[in-house]
Amino acid sequence: MSDEEHQFESKADAGASKTYPQQAGTIRKNGYIVIKNRACKVVEVSTSKTGKHGHAKCHFVAIDIFNGKKLEDIVPSSHNCDVPHVNRTDYQLIDISEDGFVSLLTENGNTKDDLKLPTDDALLTQIKDGFAEGKDLVVTVMSAMGEEQICALKDIGPK
Amino acid sequence: MYLFLSVSSVSWFLGLLLQNWSFSQNGGLYWPYFKGFVLDSNIFFFVTIELLPFGSIVIAIEMNGGYVNGELGQLRATMQTIEIACSSIQINVNPTAAEATILSLCQSARPYQACQFIIENSQMANARFQAATAIRVAAIREWSFLSPDEKKSLISFCLSYVMKHASSPEGYVLSKISSVAAQLMKRGWLELTAAEKDGIFSEINMAIAGNHGLDVQFIGINFLESLVSEFSPSTSTAMSLPREFHEQCRKSLEHDYLKNFYCWALGAAQSVTTEITNSDGAVSEARVCSTALRFMLQVLNWDFSNSGKVAKNSIDVYSFVAKEDSNSTYTLVQPGPSWRDILITSGHTGWLLGLYSVLREKFSSKGYWIDCPLAVSARKLIVQLCSLTGTIFPSDAGASQGKHLLQLISGIILWIHPPDVIAKAIECGRSESELLDGCRGLLSIAAITNPVTFDNLLKQIRPFGTLSLLSGLMCEVVKDLMTKDLEDEPWSWVARDILLDTWTTLLTDASGFSEKLLLPPEGINAAANLFALIVESELKAASVSEEKEEYFQPSVAAMDERLSSYALIARAAVDVTIPFLTQLFSERFARLHQGSGINDPTATMEELYSLLLITGHVLADEGEGETPLIPTAIETHFPKYVETDKHPVVVLSWSIIKFAEQSLDPNIRAAFFSPRLMEAIIWFLARWSSTYLMTSGEMQSYKNSIDDVTLLQMQQSRVALLSFSAEHTQGKTLLGIIVKISLTTLISYPGETDLQALTCYQLLGGVVRRKNICQHLVTLEAWRELAHCFTNDRVLFSLNATHQRSLAQTLVLSASGIKNSVEANQYIRDLTNHMTAYINDISSKKDIKNVSQQPDVILAVTCLLERLRGASSASEPRTQKALYEMGFSVMQSVLKFLEVYKNEPAVVYLLLKLVVDWVDGQIIYLEPHETAVVIDFCMHLLQLYSSHNIGKISVSLSSSLLNEANAEKYRDLRALLQLLQKLCTKDMVDVSSAASEDQQTSISQVIFVGVHIVSPLITTEMLKYPKLCYDHFALLSHMLEVYPEMIPKLNHEAFGHISGTLVYGLHQQDEEIVGMCLRSLRALAIYHYKERGVGRDGLGPHATSYKDNDGNFQDGILSKFLRSLLQLILFEDYSTDLVGAAADALFPLILCDHDLYQRLCNELVERQPNPIFKTRMASALHSLTTSDDLSPSADRANMRKFRKNLNRFLIDVRGFLRVI
Repeated sequence: MSDEEHQFESKADAGASKTYPQQAGTIRKNGYIVIKNRACKVVEVSTSKTGKHGHAKCHFVAIDIFNGKKLEDIVPSSHNCDVPHVNRTDYQLIDISEDGFVSLLTENGNTKDDLKLPTDDALLTQIKDGFAEGKDLVVTVMSAMGEEQICALKDIGPK
Repeated sequence: MYLFLSVSSVSWFLGLLLQNWSFSQNGGLYWPYFKGFVLDSNIFFFVTIELLPFGSIVIAIEMNGGYVNGELGQLRATMQTIEIACSSIQINVNPTAAEATILSLCQSARPYQACQFIIENSQMANARFQAATAIRVAAIREWSFLSPDEKKSLISFCLSYVMKHASSPEGYVLSKISSVAAQLMKRGWLELTAAEKDGIFSEINMAIAGNHGLDVQFIGINFLESLVSEFSPSTSTAMSLPREFHEQCRKSLEHDYLKNFYCWALGAAQSVTTEITNSDGAVSEARVCSTALRFMLQVLNWDFSNSGKVAKNSIDVYSFVAKEDSNSTYTLVQPGPSWRDILITSGHTGWLLGLYSVLREKFSSKGYWIDCPLAVSARKLIVQLCSLTGTIFPSDAGASQGKHLLQLISGIILWIHPPDVIAKAIECGRSESELLDGCRGLLSIAAITNPVTFDNLLKQIRPFGTLSLLSGLMCEVVKDLMTKDLEDEPWSWVARDILLDTWTTLLTDASGFSEKLLLPPEGINAAANLFALIVESELKAASVSEEKEEYFQPSVAAMDERLSSYALIARAAVDVTIPFLTQLFSERFARLHQGSGINDPTATMEELYSLLLITGHVLADEGEGETPLIPTAIETHFPKYVETDKHPVVVLSWSIIKFAEQSLDPNIRAAFFSPRLMEAIIWFLARWSSTYLMTSGEMQSYKNSIDDVTLLQMQQSRVALLSFSAEHTQGKTLLGIIVKISLTTLISYPGETDLQALTCYQLLGGVVRRKNICQHLVTLEAWRELAHCFTNDRVLFSLNATHQRSLAQTLVLSASGIKNSVEANQYIRDLTNHMTAYINDISSKKDIKNVSQQPDVILAVTCLLERLRGASSASEPRTQKALYEMGFSVMQSVLKFLEVYKNEPAVVYLLLKLVVDWVDGQIIYLEPHETAVVIDFCMHLLQLYSSHNIGKISVSLSSSLLNEANAEKYRDLRALLQLLQKLCTKDMVDVSSAASEDQQTSISQVIFVGVHIVSPLITTEMLKYPKLCYDHFALLSHMLEVYPEMIPKLNHEAFGHISGTLVYGLHQQDEEIVGMCLRSLRALAIYHYKERGVGRDGLGPHATSYKDNDGNFQDGILSKFLRSLLQLILFEDYSTDLVGAAADALFPLILCDHDLYQRLCNELVERQPNPIFKTRMASALHSLTTSDDLSPSADRANMRKFRKNLNRFLIDVRGFLRVI
């Protein structure tokens, strides 16, 4: 037990790692996986066998969490897959600038100004409209493997 | 609309008419007939001579065919519109608009004239077809206020049309119109007098008798076909009438007409037999004959209600399952004694067989072939006659039934004997349908006879018995099957299924019903040979299929049905087949070891796989969660073996277990034990252990009369068999082996989820289900090793999370084997402490917020939560304490995780499910202070969840990710609702030691706080998920029914939300949901009504009307519901089953706001377009609230009366309300 804790601790220190290995058989639907070096969310897992008395393989259908593209992969289920470290952070939305960048308030009081608004019109209007109505918006920013994107917003409103 | 001219003009016209019209004098019938003369450029005169079959003769001369000038134009215009619509549907130009046009014809009031005009005058078949549909729809809808004459004339119009146009090439129009006639006739069935029905039917009878030619004969039978299928409950058309109506019609038809119809069809068929027999080529009589035979088959398929239940599979109503498989259906035909004269004594069977044998001779000639319609219908009817049984035969100990069957089988045997010759002929291109029908015939006979009678049947005319024929057929079929590729579904595949069903039917009854019906000795031999052949073919199939590269393995369950038929055959000759199986196994084991390292073992492995499945089925039955009994055949067939180690079943079982044990050796495992073979082994062990491992108990009572010596021997042999794996002998050792093998599969086959699922659910899950096994289990070294490995070894983290859950549950459940409850609780603490400590350790990390997002941490947390969830769901009274402590110790961590993982839906869902399962297992045992803690915790959880999720919108480019996000939200909410439901149960069942009421937390209070928190999250969007919708309304209706007193305390917003979802729910399609909404409404209204009755506030501000923000006057909530409920039941679509629930809700609502009800009634009456409807409506409304001495108080008796009144009211008025 204590060994594992130690191991766990050391990994926590190495926190910067972008991906972690995990056995393919343990990755479930709704989990994350790296396919073709993209961070994806698994939407379908099925297993098959290589020949009747061979070993099981997992067939993953997954969706790129940033660009929404569908990707597929087949991995022997006892092998390891890369699982991305997906981080989500909440920021308060302070401003939307003309050139398509947002200004966000971090927990420690600084601002974060390097995040671009999504280019998709529907998403853009969702965010812009909410902001224009003067609501207090909190945006959730998802980051994985060096990419960042707004993935949710929430009206915290006047309490 | 008739315009009668003066008498002189009539005679003038008649003169004209008679010149070119000659009456036929042979007493034939005249169907109403139009004849037109163009006298002027724009005026038509029609002379209608109606020599109606109903007795009256009407001669009318009509101007413009009975239509006033302008009307004719209008009818023409309608016809044109419909024709255009029909053709545009055909060429697919703007089909929606065209459909709307046609629909509007159906929905218009009284479209009959237009429809009849179209049917008679349109050149376009489709338009006529649509017009017929419109007549049907409109007439069924408006039936209750058509006059009797109108009804009759609609029916006779349809009938006369089809009779007159019997030779029309557009058959589909004719059959549509005759089916409309049939439906209208059924709608009016209870109103028509016997004389009127007889009038119609005597015309039909004459038509069928052939007086008007073959076409009319055909049409007549066709009409009867539609009529009978209309009257048969399973094929009838819905008419939005109560079920009793259909039932009454069915009974009446069966009692008064069905047999006559059959006789007419028989007569028609017999009348054309000579023509068919004498002609060499095809004759048009064949069509009539095959239709008649088809109709007779339909009648014999009727579900006769007066059948004495004597057939074998009707005895146990619970086990009777209709055979769905279309290849091998049989139904028992039990028409009762009144049919004896026509079916048995009239020589009807002989005639049919004769007809078919004549046809067989003609098969080589032109016009007839083996699959021609006439031959097919004849064969089907013959097969159907095979299942004739019941009181139709006189009670002469089966003599006349035997005669009947003998006659049939002597006809059928020509189709199936000799099997090898016929199989060869089919290989050479002959159609297989005759053989298949022959097999179906055998199946039908098997269903109504016992094995001995079945076998003797053929012995009377041939030197061999029917069983030999059956096994001969089966052998041919199996041989053919071995050479075929199964993917093309060859004939032998179908035949095998039918024949297997025949065996199953014969053998199942032999063991379950009466032991006197054992197979005769030749039958046993036949079964043994057959089983050997089957196994051979399966093994061959197994080794061949290995060559295929990409193979998706079919589940064991998919083969189950076939394998259990095999097992039945094997058990019929069990003393031969078990040693046979043992021998096959030992050959293959030897082959595997000899060839070790030299040959490719896969073919042998695949053979072993098949053998294991077959043997598992032969030795044991599927338990489906219960402990299955040892098969009777195995208990009784080995009286000679009273020593354990010589008992054939022991020898077989032991050899397999010894083989399985070899998988513990890593080298051998790597060489032979592929995941797939391991799956079969685990499956076998699971099945075997649930029947034989540590089983005690008495032998099943043996119904056959045998001498005491044999009985004693049987008992001794059974004891010998069981002592192989009994508790005091080797049972514990075997259990140890099983546990060791399980642990190996869990550790040594990483990523093989199927195998691990079998191990966790089937094998281990089955083992801990039995308490006496648990007692030994907990003392086993191997079990402790498994538990230790589970808690301490990281390797089991790599199991699928749900399997870890199941494993945790299994381990906790095994505590039931520890007698001392303190020790049992300690055992569970030892199991769970590691997990809770680990969880708390992670959650208390300082940098948890950052660390938590790392995939490995997420994996660990997920696995631990799943394990805790598994343990929680294994809660039992004795071990509840330890599990409560487990949950209590992680409460803070759960809240912490809910916070840090708020953006990780998978973890959030697990957290919620863990709490749900834990509360479910604990709540009823909790002491008051514990209850308070748990409830406090749950409320915290709800609030936290709500604060994270309310107003949150996911943004994503991918629609499937958005859908996923929605589905995740839905699952969470469902879990929350389940949590509230579980909390509710505390009020229903409480076994804690708390005595006084005041210590208890008020559950109703809790639920209402919960609803306040959860309900804003449930939007109508979310309610589109059916399960969530169901849970939501189940909770809501429960809450409103049980705790209505809490409603006035709800704030306006929450109440608005509840009533909003109720409105939504009322308009759902799902009957159950609407029902729950109605129950909720009823609870609300009754509560309000009763509170008002004793002078209190009732729903208070919610029920009174108020002014909203815009200054508009808004009704109180109950008044709103009164309106919408009335709207619903009067004008909208719903199932008639809901009327009772609607009445229960409506009555108290009316009582609550009687003034509004009066206003609404007046509105309703005023809205009717004409005085007739107005008075009808008014009187219907009046009797709704007054008839049957209904008094205005919401007690039980009045509620019941109101239900009846509402039913009557709806039948009365819905017809015309829905049109307008």
